[in-house]
Amino acid sequence: MSAAETNEVATETKSKDTDIELAQRSAAGDREAFEQLYHRHFRRVYALCLRMTTNPSTAEDLTQEVFIHLYNKIGSFRGDSAFTTWLHRMTVNHVLMYFRKSSTRSELLTMEGETPVQIVRGTENQDKMPIVDRIALEKAISELPPGYRSVFVLHDVEGYEHEEIGRMLGCSTGTSKSQLHKARLKLRDLIRRQAAQN
Amino acid sequence: MECEESLELLSEYHAGALDEPQRDGVRQHLGDCPPCDDVYHDVETIVVSASSLREEEGISFPDETAVWQRIQFS
Repeated sequence: MSAAETNEVATETKSKDTDIELAQRSAAGDREAFEQLYHRHFRRVYALCLRMTTNPSTAEDLTQEVFIHLYNKIGSFRGDSAFTTWLHRMTVNHVLMYFRKSSTRSELLTMEGETPVQIVRGTENQDKMPIVDRIALEKAISELPPGYRSVFVLHDVEGYEHEEIGRMLGCSTGTSKSQLHKARLKLRDLIRRQAAQN
Repeated sequence: MECEESLELLSEYHAGALDEPQRDGVRQHLGDCPPCDDVYHDVETIVVSASSLREEEGISFPDETAVWQRIQFS
């Protein structure tokens, strides 16, 4: 077997290692195992950071921080849940921590001082909301206040339940539901405004 | 049910989380009030569109190796 073939077999073998095996090896100090985990999950972590922050540069910095945090905490992964679920949760918590540091608690949770969502009903504008393409939706999401955006992304994009969002954000289930509804109405308003400008 | 109450309950209605009297009230109102019905369908469209954002397609990823190198030097 040539060196290239040997490498190929080695790579193939590595790629078959489960996340749990790699996590255990990483916890024991195997940096190569951690590097494999990094490459396996980099895109997922970055995509989540980007969806929550809507800022590529911030998402990149947060991704870097998440993996450093992961390296330090990987020994605490017990395998009770899938590694991807555990890392996903860790990433969400890290981004929420970033929001907390960069804004006041009231901005993050209650939207005090926010302009109330004005619900424009159909009779006031006969045009139906345009078909929502990805770019229009992403742009509108980026214009949401961080609190609305967190709840919307966690619930409608990532699929978390209100109870879990409440635990992560430190608010009640009712607050999470209320924020989600306001976020959706605000998005509707933003998308309609975008369409009117085009 | 009036428009204001109906609009406040749209997300819960969409989630199927209302009790029967409220659900019936919203349903009846939406049937009678095209403007509120439009809002409901817009909310539905946003919810459906949002789920597609979970896909990684269309994202411009940074240089994975460069980020890894920064992690190593941290």
